[in-house]
Amino acid sequence: MSHCEELLVRVGRGLHAALPRPSRHPIKALDAKGMELASSDAELRAALFRLVDVTPACRSHDDLARHLTEYLKEVDERPQALQAAMRVAHTAPGRAALGAAAATGVRHMAHRFIVGESPQAALGVLEGLWKEGSACSVDLLGEATFTSEEADRYAARCEEALEVLSAAARSWPQRPLLEADSAGPLPRVNLSVKVSALTPLMRPEAPHVGRDDAAQRLRPLLRRARDLGAHLHIDMESLDALETTEELVFDLLGEPEFGDGPSAGVVLQAYLRDSGRQLDRMLEWARASERRPPLTVRLVKGAYWDHEVVEARQHGWAPPVFEVKAESDRNFEELTRRLLDERLTKDSAGKPDPWHPLLRVAIASHNIRSLASAIAHNRASGGEDHDLELQVLRGLGDELGVAIAASGLRVRSYCPVGDLVAGMAYLVRRLLENTSNDSFLGEQQRGASIDELLAAP
Amino acid sequence: MPNPANPANPVHDRAAPFANEPVLELRRAPVRDSLTAALAELDARLPLHAPIMIGGERGADSGFESTDPSAPERVVAYAGRATESDAGAAVAAASRGFREWSARGAAERAEVLVRAAATLRERRLELAALMVRECAKPWPEADADVCEAIDFLQYYARAAVALERGPELVQVPGERNTMRYVPRGVVAVISPWNFPLAIPTGMVAAGLATGNAVVLKPAEQSPACALALVEALHGAGLPPDALSLLPGFGEVGAALVSHPGVHTIAFTGSGAVGLEIVQAAAETPDGQGHVKRVVAEMGGKNCVIVDSDADIDEVVPALVGSAFGFAGQKCSAASRVIAHEAVHDALVERLAGAVDVLAVGPPERFGTDMGPVIECEAQERVLAYAREAGQAGRIAASAAAPSGGWYCPPTVACDLDPDARVLREEVFGPLLTVEAAANVDVACETVEALPFALTAGLFSRSPATVERVAARLPVGNLYVNRGITGAMVGRQPFGGNRRSGIGSKAGGPDYLLQFVEPRVVTENTMRHGLVVE
Repeated sequence: MSHCEELLVRVGRGLHAALPRPSRHPIKALDAKGMELASSDAELRAALFRLVDVTPACRSHDDLARHLTEYLKEVDERPQALQAAMRVAHTAPGRAALGAAAATGVRHMAHRFIVGESPQAALGVLEGLWKEGSACSVDLLGEATFTSEEADRYAARCEEALEVLSAAARSWPQRPLLEADSAGPLPRVNLSVKVSALTPLMRPEAPHVGRDDAAQRLRPLLRRARDLGAHLHIDMESLDALETTEELVFDLLGEPEFGDGPSAGVVLQAYLRDSGRQLDRMLEWARASERRPPLTVRLVKGAYWDHEVVEARQHGWAPPVFEVKAESDRNFEELTRRLLDERLTKDSAGKPDPWHPLLRVAIASHNIRSLASAIAHNRASGGEDHDLELQVLRGLGDELGVAIAASGLRVRSYCPVGDLVAGMAYLVRRLLENTSNDSFLGEQQRGASIDELLAAP
Repeated sequence: MPNPANPANPVHDRAAPFANEPVLELRRAPVRDSLTAALAELDARLPLHAPIMIGGERGADSGFESTDPSAPERVVAYAGRATESDAGAAVAAASRGFREWSARGAAERAEVLVRAAATLRERRLELAALMVRECAKPWPEADADVCEAIDFLQYYARAAVALERGPELVQVPGERNTMRYVPRGVVAVISPWNFPLAIPTGMVAAGLATGNAVVLKPAEQSPACALALVEALHGAGLPPDALSLLPGFGEVGAALVSHPGVHTIAFTGSGAVGLEIVQAAAETPDGQGHVKRVVAEMGGKNCVIVDSDADIDEVVPALVGSAFGFAGQKCSAASRVIAHEAVHDALVERLAGAVDVLAVGPPERFGTDMGPVIECEAQERVLAYAREAGQAGRIAASAAAPSGGWYCPPTVACDLDPDARVLREEVFGPLLTVEAAANVDVACETVEALPFALTAGLFSRSPATVERVAARLPVGNLYVNRGITGAMVGRQPFGGNRRSGIGSKAGGPDYLLQFVEPRVVTENTMRHGLVVE
């Protein structure tokens, strides 16, 4: 085993040991049971997704119960509890009770992933996370944007979130690890925004149209973030939005008024076959840029895998994503190494200059192996722990987040905020990720040993 | 220039099973650049010439012209104007060509079609550019049109080979029964301008694959696109007499329909012309030794039902694409939305906002959502319907349209008088009406009351509702939880019922049967008490 691999395994075991013991809380146990059930049976999983998906559109408990039983009819082997549920649905009172139970179940599931209905409502959770050693990035969930008014409303919500969070975060206690790295201070307030929500004009075949329209709404947000000292992170979505997003961010951050701020970031999706070239472009831009705050790059696996593969298959295109999970995982590690190695500038003597990096690196994953590889490579190449950020998703990576914080590393939780209706698309995607057969969390849930979890992909 | 066509799924080999030709991946900048370059090359060659071609002879190549709908002063092609006597000469050539062509087996004919498909594939950028110019098709749809043309050639080539084997019959000792399909003779194809390559290719390919000879009369708006098809087939080894091209107007189409040497008429176009063809083709003058068969795809008044449990996030873009893609000039285009009263108002508001931001402009510009309609008369017709809709109800959205070409604003109308003409008639342009219904069953009644039955859409997340509506609606193509245009060869065989069409579905397994005659041979294999098989 190479030195690096040894270090990786040691780090990984450390993280694993720091995981809180499985919760005995009955609600959490129920969650785990439900997830297990859903991941064990594809038909049941489909029924669950469809239920979650339709809940906000149902007008009554009766309506919801009818949908639920229709979905369950398509499941061949129904567990006894569901069999019973279908029987009670034959009567109106039965349907009302079943619908109420289903609605409660979905709401409960939503609350696991969504920290509050508004930034104001989310403050308690966010402050709690901060105190326990986790920073956050807030993501405002919403319906799709088709109209200018919807784009304006989203931008206004973003601005409100920046204000509300900034006002509240001032009184949070000091957490040095979360507030600075070698390059300087890190904002307490961190907001993730989606370009597709900032414009109704996303056109994959005409990136300039969406870019120009979104720029008019992103520019004021950047100003507000700069003035409030907040961080703005531009999320990445499906490949259809990639060129628009990339051009938008590079163009706007290059404008002179943003030379000193705000702190800003972009996302690199490791499942894209082209992600290496995407990183090249980020580095090239960063080298040419005279901005002071380094661009943060959040490395993720990518959340639109099914969409990308299905779209490509339907059009007869080569899928733009790795189709074998291990390839994605290997690429994730490769990009991690590149990010950590190539982020540094050299001083006049040709030595790496940790105070003026080209990029700040954030590694977002629930895969212990992926996280461990980042930590190990950073240490092995002489980097400071505080120059690496790790990120997890609220609701999925909570325990991992606790373990990372307990290990003295900086962790940030990606926290969706918004109402149930608006959050459903997000929720379904997260469920899909969590219950897919080859997901890391799935493996972990099935009780894979730490050695298996840390095996090279 | 790099080949922008994705090599992931090429079907160059006839032995390979059918797969749809992949559309271009326009989200990639180099692909877009290749199209822009192809358009510049085409522009340098304009105007083109589309001659009358009978028996491989190039005839007159001026008489009328096709123009660019987004800049009507630009002539795209000069075309010969075929006459009644040209129609007679073309049918005579076809009768000669039929003997040679039908004598070849289906496999050999299929090779020709597949070679023609390869030519279209090689010329795909140029052909897409031609559709941008001649019919103002925006790039994504122009490219899809070329792909569909390739698909028709590939699909019917394979289907004809399978059809030649004939069906299995019941056999008993002492008797041999065989059934096979033979070509009917001469097919007159009368094609529209809205799919200026794909639709003529589909009808011509079906006729040729089964061994018929074809005379093609394309729409007067798009003669150059039709010429590209004829050139590809002739270049692929089709006997010149087996396919003639008659650019021109209604009179040459009428001459073909009434010609006693024509056996089958394949038509796609308006209901009015379609019904005239059905009537005229029913005549059997002395000396005509057969009854003509008509395959006609006509109009629609395509409705989309939106139930209360629909995902409006999916409904809005699907409706915008289906109603305003290619300015609503598809027979499958969405024209009438019937929404559950619980979601009606919210839907109208979001739909209107989405239409307000549509970019109307020249089709060659990436980022244009909608180009002009095909010609001045179409513009006047659509604007008249929109005015009527305004009088009979409320205009919820009407995006700005530039001047200069035959532009119409994409329009959403609602709160309409239930008797408004615009709710019943085919507009064939960018006008979408939205009305409320108490529930899905009421909406189904509305759809059933229409004489048309081409496409329809349903948005619902209830499996029981989907099943009930699918069983009930008479339409040829029902699309559930998606847009209602863009039928793919082999995946969504396409065609309407009732007054939307007669004949089976294009791009489907039974389409070719319309171009053949079944023949059964029964042979006694007993000789003096001995079976001699």
